[in-house]
Amino acid sequence: MKRALAAALHGILVLVLASACRERPGAAAAAVPTAAPTSATPTPETPRLGFLDESHEGNPVDGGTLRRRLTGEPTTLNAVLQSSGPEAQVLQYVQRNLFDYDASLQLVPGLAEGMEASKDGLEYTIALRPDAVWEDGRPVTAKDAVFTIRKIADPKVPAPVFKPLFEEMTAIEALDAHRFRVRFSRPYAFRPMCFVLPILPAHRFEGQSFLKSKENRAPLSDGPYRVVSWKTQESVALERNPRYAGPRGHFDRIEFRIVPDNTTAYRMLLDGSLDEDVVDSGIKRRAASDPDFAACCRLVEFYNLDYNYIALNERSPFFSDARVRRAMTMMLDRASIVRGLYRGSARIISGPWAPDSPAYDADVAPLPFDPGMAGRLLDEAGWVRPPGGGPREKDGRRFEFDLLVSAGSEVGRQIDEMLASELAKAGVTARVRAMEWAAFVEKVDSGAFEAASLAWSAVDPNPDPYFYWHSSQCAPAGINDGCYSNPAADALMVQAREELDAGRRLEILHRLHRLLRDEAPAIFVVNASQKYAFRKRVRGLTTSPLGLYGIWPGPLAWWGAPEPAGQP
Amino acid sequence: MIRYVGRRLLLAVPTLFGISVIVFVLLHLAPGTPGAGGAESLRRVSGKAAEEMRRLYGLDRPLPEQFARWLGRVVRLDLGESFVDHRPVGERIREALPNTIVLNGLALVLAIGLAIPLGVAAGSRPESTFDRTSGAVLFALYSLPTFWGALLLQTLFSAQLKWFPLFGVASDAAPGGFAGFADRLAHLALPVTCLTYGTLAFVARLVRSGIVEARASDYVLASRARGASRRRAIWRHAFPNALLPVITLAGLLVPAVLSGSVVVEKIFAWPGLGRLYLDSILARDYPVILALSLLSAAVTLIATLAADIALAAADPRVRDGSGV
Repeated sequence: MKRALAAALHGILVLVLASACRERPGAAAAAVPTAAPTSATPTPETPRLGFLDESHEGNPVDGGTLRRRLTGEPTTLNAVLQSSGPEAQVLQYVQRNLFDYDASLQLVPGLAEGMEASKDGLEYTIALRPDAVWEDGRPVTAKDAVFTIRKIADPKVPAPVFKPLFEEMTAIEALDAHRFRVRFSRPYAFRPMCFVLPILPAHRFEGQSFLKSKENRAPLSDGPYRVVSWKTQESVALERNPRYAGPRGHFDRIEFRIVPDNTTAYRMLLDGSLDEDVVDSGIKRRAASDPDFAACCRLVEFYNLDYNYIALNERSPFFSDARVRRAMTMMLDRASIVRGLYRGSARIISGPWAPDSPAYDADVAPLPFDPGMAGRLLDEAGWVRPPGGGPREKDGRRFEFDLLVSAGSEVGRQIDEMLASELAKAGVTARVRAMEWAAFVEKVDSGAFEAASLAWSAVDPNPDPYFYWHSSQCAPAGINDGCYSNPAADALMVQAREELDAGRRLEILHRLHRLLRDEAPAIFVVNASQKYAFRKRVRGLTTSPLGLYGIWPGPLAWWGAPEPAGQP
Repeated sequence: MIRYVGRRLLLAVPTLFGISVIVFVLLHLAPGTPGAGGAESLRRVSGKAAEEMRRLYGLDRPLPEQFARWLGRVVRLDLGESFVDHRPVGERIREALPNTIVLNGLALVLAIGLAIPLGVAAGSRPESTFDRTSGAVLFALYSLPTFWGALLLQTLFSAQLKWFPLFGVASDAAPGGFAGFADRLAHLALPVTCLTYGTLAFVARLVRSGIVEARASDYVLASRARGASRRRAIWRHAFPNALLPVITLAGLLVPAVLSGSVVVEKIFAWPGLGRLYLDSILARDYPVILALSLLSAAVTLIATLAADIALAAADPRVRDGSGV
């Protein structure tokens, strides 16, 4: 991605992307550093973690059915209205994006064949592929693109995934049948990423309510597959779209099963009702000692850009002092968390990115686990223990706070308990409070908390920290939940988003990383591995820091080898 | 009797209204707002966009106005549209309702149908070997948590013996006609068993204690003294009395047919109302939650009324006396 951006934004700003969609293994290896060493020792059951690229292995066979798992029901198949993982998984086969990320996080063309940016970085002109057609035979036109982006910007349309990307758009127009131009109010280093965007057929929505259209259950395809059935809470089935002119997938049919229960999904994998399953660490342990699993299936485990952290609210009386925040990080024994909770398959992080993000500077070592030093930092900050022990106090106030965690997050709760027990030894009381998801989100969004266990989940490789840590983005207006504010960090964040040179931008982000490590606006905990199980017959997998799905060709490159006879 | 039924039905209107108000108020008092998305949400929505969504759903209006609007629609049999997928709420419920009714209805019929002979058999010879064994087994069943029972059944009958399918309502390539019907029954076997055993145990013990009590009563002794056979004394005289509490209980069990079972539906990937209810609550999909609450309130009222009528039919004292 970095390189694509550099080319797009620097020099003559003309980017004609190669039409091939295959990832380049060399670039991938360069962009995805190998796992940073942690103090954890991998157990024998831990597979090799890291980048997997089978795109050049074996001789792909066409045909057959791929049976995938969805953990929940898609709420819509309108690409603009999509809001959750299951929708994205289905739509990837059905609606092509203008551009996509490849496995090395570079932008590659999809429905579009090129992107031109004006010298001032304000205007983008996108050219669509002339051979792009809808399932009904009509061409995909600039009119469709303009329609789609206008819907995203429409205040009456809930488009949570794409709306933030177009908040600074000032104008959009179709130049001819295949080209359109978008104008923004200011240049932005990561702007091209907003064109990783699906397009809807304008003609299908004419005279219809956008939110209630029948299209939203049966979308018109411009991608390699079309939706043939959607049974609520049961399954979504796709077949090849015969009109699609781009690179084809290998399977004739894709069946998504909606299976909310992990154990049922595991059994379905073993009996062949599923080819793919996302697994948790419990199922992973079970699979490791299950001969049935070894016979039919394999585990795929890798790191993506997700990480978890504990937000510390600067507006509470406890966490406005950076020394206190640093002390909190130094009292969380992250090495034991990696060993005990994650059995080695997690990496300690030192800032607000995962190690595979280019913004992450591997030279910035995490703060050590050092309760002694942490205690001295608390003393310095004025939170002292009365002689003879007892709770720490400052100006007559005890150091006692609520540590919120979503009730569904078992690992988050365990991490919080570990922190709380270490803090208790140092005379600080952290009350771990598990809350139901919607209630938890409301507390966090409104900034009405003292500390909260959160997870950051990446939908794109954009490392821009502005929305999460800039002082102008304090909750509830923005999503800087803990209202972290530091003028030096603010300045670096603004510089980074305005710096159009990729190398210099990376330098700025690395400086910011070092600063945030020491400022500790949150306890950055770990980047944990993603775990999937596949039937052995499914080949051609490629993992990426965006996971197995968020990339092109991603699942489109998977293929099914014939399963040996007698295999259950 | 007709006047009684009419009065009960009239009383149901203010009851339903009261339930709606309570559910509506509780829903809006509960923390969390719609549009926060589930735990699988792809992107966090910032303050401005969240505000726009609240306006879109009419959540920025005063609470009484929101309630009046909702009630106005419900009176015209319009349950509104889901916040999540913007489809009519009625359509979403209609999709899930048949699956739930089949699953839970079958479980209830089976539970009561098996519980009665079991309970009568055990109760007519109290402290016999059969009574003691069935008591112990039923007690064990009653204490068995559903999720554990479900996993056990799946392991044994699906993974090991391969007698029954693991999940779902029907096979993908389900044939038509009798074979298709058999396929659906096979899919029902495990989840129905799961939902049956707890109720079965409970009702069977209830019937047994009713029989034991009636057995010792004067009228049963009198019938035996008149020369009635043991079987006739039990079925003709003891059983109707033992049935009365079961009828009342059934009135309370029927509404559960509609509320569905979240655990069983989740484990067997069964597309029913329980999952719809839970998903809606997690997403704070107010219109769906309200509609389902109203539906189960209505069914509860109707079922208790039906139970009372059945009780009147079964019990002459209720039918003729001043109890009505």
